[in-house]
Amino acid sequence: MSDIFDKTVKKKPKEDLCVVYVMFFDEKRGQVPLLMYPDDRLRSDKRYMRPINFHPVWFLETEDLDHIDLEYKGYTFFGKKFLAKSKRQKRRAGLEEETPETIVIIVSIPVEIDIFGDELIKRLTEELRENFDDQLSEVIESEIASEAVIKTPKIHECISKGTKIKVFMRELIDKTIKDYFSKAIENRAESTSLKTQKAIAYFSLKGFEFSPLSSLKGDGSFANLELFETSKKPIELIGPKSILSITHLNFIENSQELEITIQNNTDKDLTNMSVTITHVKEFFEKVIMTQKVEFWFSLEELLFVSPIVPHINEYLVSIKQEDDHGNSNKILTHKIDLKLINKISS
Amino acid sequence: MSIEQIQEEDIIIRNYRTSDYEATLEILKDLNELFDIGFNEKQWRESSGLRQFKPNLKRITLIAELKSTGQVVSMGMIEGVKNTLGQYIGYLDNWATKKEFIGKGVGKLLADRAIQILESWGTDSIRINLAYTTDEKLINIFSKLGFQPIITVLEKRF
Repeated sequence: MSDIFDKTVKKKPKEDLCVVYVMFFDEKRGQVPLLMYPDDRLRSDKRYMRPINFHPVWFLETEDLDHIDLEYKGYTFFGKKFLAKSKRQKRRAGLEEETPETIVIIVSIPVEIDIFGDELIKRLTEELRENFDDQLSEVIESEIASEAVIKTPKIHECISKGTKIKVFMRELIDKTIKDYFSKAIENRAESTSLKTQKAIAYFSLKGFEFSPLSSLKGDGSFANLELFETSKKPIELIGPKSILSITHLNFIENSQELEITIQNNTDKDLTNMSVTITHVKEFFEKVIMTQKVEFWFSLEELLFVSPIVPHINEYLVSIKQEDDHGNSNKILTHKIDLKLINKISS
Repeated sequence: MSIEQIQEEDIIIRNYRTSDYEATLEILKDLNELFDIGFNEKQWRESSGLRQFKPNLKRITLIAELKSTGQVVSMGMIEGVKNTLGQYIGYLDNWATKKEFIGKGVGKLLADRAIQILESWGTDSIRINLAYTTDEKLINIFSKLGFQPIITVLEKRF
């Protein structure tokens, strides 16, 4: 395990799980951290901030790609960019008060549990946008005001208002993370996927909530599950099955191709779908294959065959659906590691 | 099954599903015995007949199923390939019918549907790969549908 998130900052047990960075675009200074979870002091720690400065999320368009992930020293960093309402007077010519604020959320979690990252960053973004869309510009204003050398009572008031909002934001982030991991672990406990089992093993080894001994479960537990529980029936998944699911993955060694079989799990035909296979090289996401699927019948399995890039093992499958207005909605994102899938000769 | 011509209303033409694996495997094995098409049983996997998307290639395996019994009686693969000359060529490949249904017109019904699909994909032309030892009768059937022999394909196996 990498030591970039090591002992210098005092942590509670579950704070190892993830670090959340909420950043904003300052017209003078560029990307600046607005809030960090679990501890705001991390913003002055170079080891935490180094990967953030190079994350490809800065090149992400807010409208097109949904999010980008980057692997760095044993951690996967998921980054998502969006625009928030603003009434703040900008410090660059040509920008109006109404020019929206550019907010970036980055979540870093250990690679062993990165299967949870996609959904977690989506939830965090949704929660923050839903609850703080109108207030983010006030927090930014307070962040900028805190840099002022001479602080007038008005500036103090502005800083205090922003600080209060930040407390609520941090509480929301904390609650969202705990709720998410608790449910995600319960829902996936019976999964036969190697990646999921690896993630659960990680939680177990870290002594989170899967300890076989109930007595070890305390406040730090996320889920009411035990690793070797035999008395209960298998837990049924709550909520509807996902729209699409990957049913088979093969790596064809002869032709150096990746075969991905994906099923439409719904009882409806899907239209205007687009399937993209990418890989991240250095800090840039490169598209290897994009296929348009005009119609995808109910319960139909489709086979996508993508070439691979020599010496690159990790790929990302993204599936989007375009609505009548030309807006794309992400339906599925899945990371594929060639080292973990079937290898066949032809 | 009576030895009569099969009509369009007697069959369902649909896309391949993984549950058709066994039936299609049998048909392809029979075809290989007759014409040595180079079929390798190990390479025909459950997913092989699924609708396939690959750069410069689209492929569908069509299945003809008897309405009355649900039996798979014929199959054929259609491909749309962009070649190096920039032409978008449609291919009818591995066209095969279960032994007892050969000569009942089911292959033609399937081919008509395949041609419709390839036209809808916007292909410039359609080619059919036939075994070198194909019966002249079959070539005549296809020539009535507008297909003319233009290429002889030679193969060297390793």
